[in-house]
Amino acid sequence: MLPMMLALVILLPLMAALGCYFLRVSAIRNMIVLVTGICIAATSLVLLGGGSFTYSPGTLLGVSWDSLVTLADFSLLFVILYYAFKLKNQLIKVFAILQIIPLAVFELFIVDHAVEVPAFYADSLALIMVAVISIIGSLICFFAIPYMKEHEEHLHLVNSRQPRFFFYLVLFLGAMNGLVLSNNILWLYFFFEVTTFCSFMLIGHDDTEIAVKNATRALWMNALGGVAFVFGMIWAYTEVGSLSLQTIINAGPMGGLMIVPVGLLCLAGFTKAAQVPFQSWLLGAMVAPTPVSALLHSSTMVKAGVYIVLRLAPAYAGTFFSQGIALCGAFTFLSCAAIAVSQSNGKKILAYSTISNLGLIICCAGLNTPWATSAAIILIIFHAISKALLFLCVGTIELGIGSRNIEDMHGLYLKMPRTAIITIIGILTMILPPFGVLLGKWMAIEAASSNMFVIVMLALGSALSVVFWARWAGILLTAPIRNKVPAESQNILTKFTLKTLAGASVVLSLFSPAIYTSLIEPMIGKTYHISAGIFSSPVGTYAVYPIFFVLAVAFIYAWLETKKSGNIQNSQSYLCGANVKEPGVQAFIGPMNKPVGLSSSNYYLEALFGEEKLTLWINFVALALIVLMLGGAV
Amino acid sequence: METLLLIIFGIIIAPILGGLISGADRKITARFQSRFGPPILQPFYDVAKLFGKVKVINNFWQVFCAWVYLIAAALSVGLFFAQSDLLMIFFVQAIGAVFLVMGGLASPSPYSQVGAHRELIQVLTYEPLIILVFAAIFMVTGTFRIDEILAYKEPLLIKLPLIFVVLGYVLTIKLRKSPFDFSTSHHAHQELVKGVLTEFSGPYLAIIEIAHWYETVLILGICALFWHTSFVGVVLLLVSTYLAEILIDNTMARMTWRWMLKYVWSVGLVMSFVNLIWLHVG
Repeated sequence: MLPMMLALVILLPLMAALGCYFLRVSAIRNMIVLVTGICIAATSLVLLGGGSFTYSPGTLLGVSWDSLVTLADFSLLFVILYYAFKLKNQLIKVFAILQIIPLAVFELFIVDHAVEVPAFYADSLALIMVAVISIIGSLICFFAIPYMKEHEEHLHLVNSRQPRFFFYLVLFLGAMNGLVLSNNILWLYFFFEVTTFCSFMLIGHDDTEIAVKNATRALWMNALGGVAFVFGMIWAYTEVGSLSLQTIINAGPMGGLMIVPVGLLCLAGFTKAAQVPFQSWLLGAMVAPTPVSALLHSSTMVKAGVYIVLRLAPAYAGTFFSQGIALCGAFTFLSCAAIAVSQSNGKKILAYSTISNLGLIICCAGLNTPWATSAAIILIIFHAISKALLFLCVGTIELGIGSRNIEDMHGLYLKMPRTAIITIIGILTMILPPFGVLLGKWMAIEAASSNMFVIVMLALGSALSVVFWARWAGILLTAPIRNKVPAESQNILTKFTLKTLAGASVVLSLFSPAIYTSLIEPMIGKTYHISAGIFSSPVGTYAVYPIFFVLAVAFIYAWLETKKSGNIQNSQSYLCGANVKEPGVQAFIGPMNKPVGLSSSNYYLEALFGEEKLTLWINFVALALIVLMLGGAV
Repeated sequence: METLLLIIFGIIIAPILGGLISGADRKITARFQSRFGPPILQPFYDVAKLFGKVKVINNFWQVFCAWVYLIAAALSVGLFFAQSDLLMIFFVQAIGAVFLVMGGLASPSPYSQVGAHRELIQVLTYEPLIILVFAAIFMVTGTFRIDEILAYKEPLLIKLPLIFVVLGYVLTIKLRKSPFDFSTSHHAHQELVKGVLTEFSGPYLAIIEIAHWYETVLILGICALFWHTSFVGVVLLLVSTYLAEILIDNTMARMTWRWMLKYVWSVGLVMSFVNLIWLHVG
């Protein structure tokens, strides 16, 4: 049964991807995407219910899977090298060669291929990741079906590029599942490279000048991570003598030298998770069609980075290196939240907020206590849901109003009421209790509270994030009163994905105590006592059910009051002068009896938090912190 | 059961206390300015009168936001009386703060819009400081739970004097007093009319006023934790703190948000650091 399910979550997406590429009929392609999505989502839940396992596949027609992976790995590296020459990018060439040669030496002369290594190992963390990837990733693929159709209509393409698009999109899910389930570090490395390559192809999908430029940057930055990975892997093997990730982790901080290879592997995780100073590739990734951004930012790619850092956490527990990771993560959390305040591009706000939240997760990995680990896992789950939802909302809004600038979203409620409300729900689930992201943040702050530097950065970062989220939620509602707001029509798949994600972000928050007891507690031990939906420890309490209940009642009551207000007197807004009395006009009578229209725009606090202003310094400090972290490891 | 009674008691008593404090504030302020001042109960008369006014709104979402603001503020006070977790109480309070801003932004009036943005900057300024205050309390007592903090043997003020000053900044901003009163000022002739509250009127303004009373009580309650060991101590601490607030309010001019953010963050962070280092040394 287990091999079957592993094949479903890893190999089925590969087959489906090939199907999408070669069967060039949109109805068939849509069917393939839908069926694959449903299959892997269902399988991921079955796997999650089944619990942890270790597994090695035997051979395929007499050829060992190990050699197949090796073959595929070298083929992929040469494909990357081919693109390096095609793009004439020296950095990618160097990084590709720096992977190919050491890897060849490693495979041919160092590794003892006779030793059996379990290829797959899954605990709760890996299975939660599989569920996040398979369910949220599939929903994003569903959303992509109508989105890409409309996207291509906007671009007036002669030949549809959708077969290629869905090939990489679906393949990505399989590669991610493979990555989080791998125990053989060579397999892990292979899937790591596949995700790098998929993201490169997807970012460059539209083939515009800017898309190619940003895809190239994503490739060289992630190839740099690949180089760190290869050297870390070889070093770890020479220290431990095993390709098994579990053996490497359990070799632990006892051997002081083990920290260096683990440090290199974490550095690879940092590049993949776009931590400062590697953030620019993820920001560039937003030129891709929205489903790609949603996928990269929520359930794949960046989550692979935090997964690796979190997976290795036991290996560096209690070291200076661990504290260094906590500091780097907290700094990313703070600095990206600060830059996000100065942004008006909706996708960019989401991108910076993603990097910021990933920083928080990495900070938790560095804090390395059971509390912090619980926080990290809770954050991974709920951040994926809310962020996928918000990206898809921005995509829908962009197709609706032709802009992703939040200034243009003033009063979106009047034009796209359904999307506006769903966006606001997504935003609120990012910052307010009793929703899951805030539960994770609460756990993180309590876990960090004895570390003076980390707590200061978390406090500042958390306040900054309230600014850009609350501002965005508020302006969606900006509107003079109207009696009737026109209904909004949405494609059935768009409606389904948005509603499912919005529902999941709210309802799963209600089940966060159950998620904790059934999935997190068995893995890391009992850290919180739970009764009546209240998390409690000697240090703190967080009442999920009571707050949820009171707020639910509050929202319903407030909504009833709001409905009653339908027939009360409306006023024009105060303009400090005589308003122009025409319906639908927002203006006052100014000098010379001329009407003066009103306009207002958001505060972006650019003098303090401008992107241009901060980025250089942030990169500089982040680099210093990384040197400090790795230097301390040596 | 006892917890539930405490919550209900807190939710009933807090607005009464908050209103009385507000009345006393106005009376004392008037005396400072050689005026006679309104009676102590004036805030209650005001709110009662507002409830009697005709309902007029600009955008129906304002109704929603006003109610959520009130309920979140009341809930945070209830949780405080239930001796819950300080961080959680703070996050629940933040719901109210966010919805007040959303209510302000819901109206296209530039006064309301700018006021809401200024309110957000006030939130941005006090939020990190209040988290640091809680972290400092954690470092002394080893817990965020109020029930456990109350079991601590000596007043926190002895170990956290500078942190108490930092909390004073939070209180001043939260009460919207000079020099930090630029999102909504007490006087209608200011450059922003009434800032974030411009478009709220009648019963909805009354709701917001009551929510503000709850918030006042919440912040004063947190102040009270600094001398929880003695009842006289609590009264002494709160009365002197609030009098200091009134004095500051009446002797300071309004400043800009740029000044506030830079000044309060830098002074607040430095004082927090110094105090936290004392803890590590001591």
